[in-house]
Amino acid sequence: MAEAETTYAEFLQSMIGKSAGTSKVVVERGPVSVFADAVLDDNPVYHDADAAKAAGFSGIPAPPTYPFIMEHWGKFAELQTGEEVPNPMGEALGPLIAKGGLILHGEQEYIYHRPVVSGDVLLGEGKVVDAYQKESRGRTMTFVVTETNWTDESGAPVVTTRFNIIHRS
Amino acid sequence: MAQTALSASKVKPGDEAPVLTHTLGRTDLVKYAGASGDFNPMHTDEVAAQAAGQPSVFGHGMFSMGFLGTAITNYVGVGNLTNYRVRFARQTWPGEELHTQVVVSGVREEQGNSLVDLDVRLVNAEGEEKVVGTATARADA
Repeated sequence: MAEAETTYAEFLQSMIGKSAGTSKVVVERGPVSVFADAVLDDNPVYHDADAAKAAGFSGIPAPPTYPFIMEHWGKFAELQTGEEVPNPMGEALGPLIAKGGLILHGEQEYIYHRPVVSGDVLLGEGKVVDAYQKESRGRTMTFVVTETNWTDESGAPVVTTRFNIIHRS
Repeated sequence: MAQTALSASKVKPGDEAPVLTHTLGRTDLVKYAGASGDFNPMHTDEVAAQAAGQPSVFGHGMFSMGFLGTAITNYVGVGNLTNYRVRFARQTWPGEELHTQVVVSGVREEQGNSLVDLDVRLVNAEGEEKVVGTATARADA
């Protein structure tokens, strides 16, 4: 039986809804403080547990963009229970990257349900929520948007991230 | 859990947060790479960046978003943000003077809570936009 040929546009559409897998991360105060330094924030709450407590935090709070790098510091191997799934961003853009072009971070969004603080153990569940192409100044731009919902050990939502990556031909 | 918030009755559209200014250096890129785990040679390896056709190493886009985030939380109080979103417009380069711009665009109420909306940008000394976006924070009544 002959297989139907899928156009790239159809293939891209089929990525929407695909799971990007799950990830469990621990937020620790050391990486949080070093990250605050790196984004030039000397606010005492990021560095001093007494200051954080006085401000009402249950731990050292994390700077607003910390969720982007939580996995680098806190995705401890023994905590991972989800199946390893192929990265849908890689799957979607792979055929384009093979022909050259550039990968760019297009947009980034955070929706904060409560502050991320040291001591948090967060579960992230990601999926592709949008994928589309646009022509711009003679180049084809391909966008893939991945949304990750992070919840804490009680199941309460903590932060939702939307990562928009672009391949530019 | 939060630092002192803005006062909704006192802020109005057009109010500007204190500006943060920083001249980007290669050491900033090293510190950000180490703190974030992003060791892309375009940010960390001058030889590789030039071999790839770039004039030099350039800053991480997320560093721009992070530094702008510092200016935002200085203004609205750590722990009060409900939303922060940016589009990455241009690369940043060592030697560039970066300026944060955080401007109130609206004050509103949603389900009994006061919220302040902000237009946010990171620009260089020539006014070229590096990242452009919006943020929303909880405010006191």
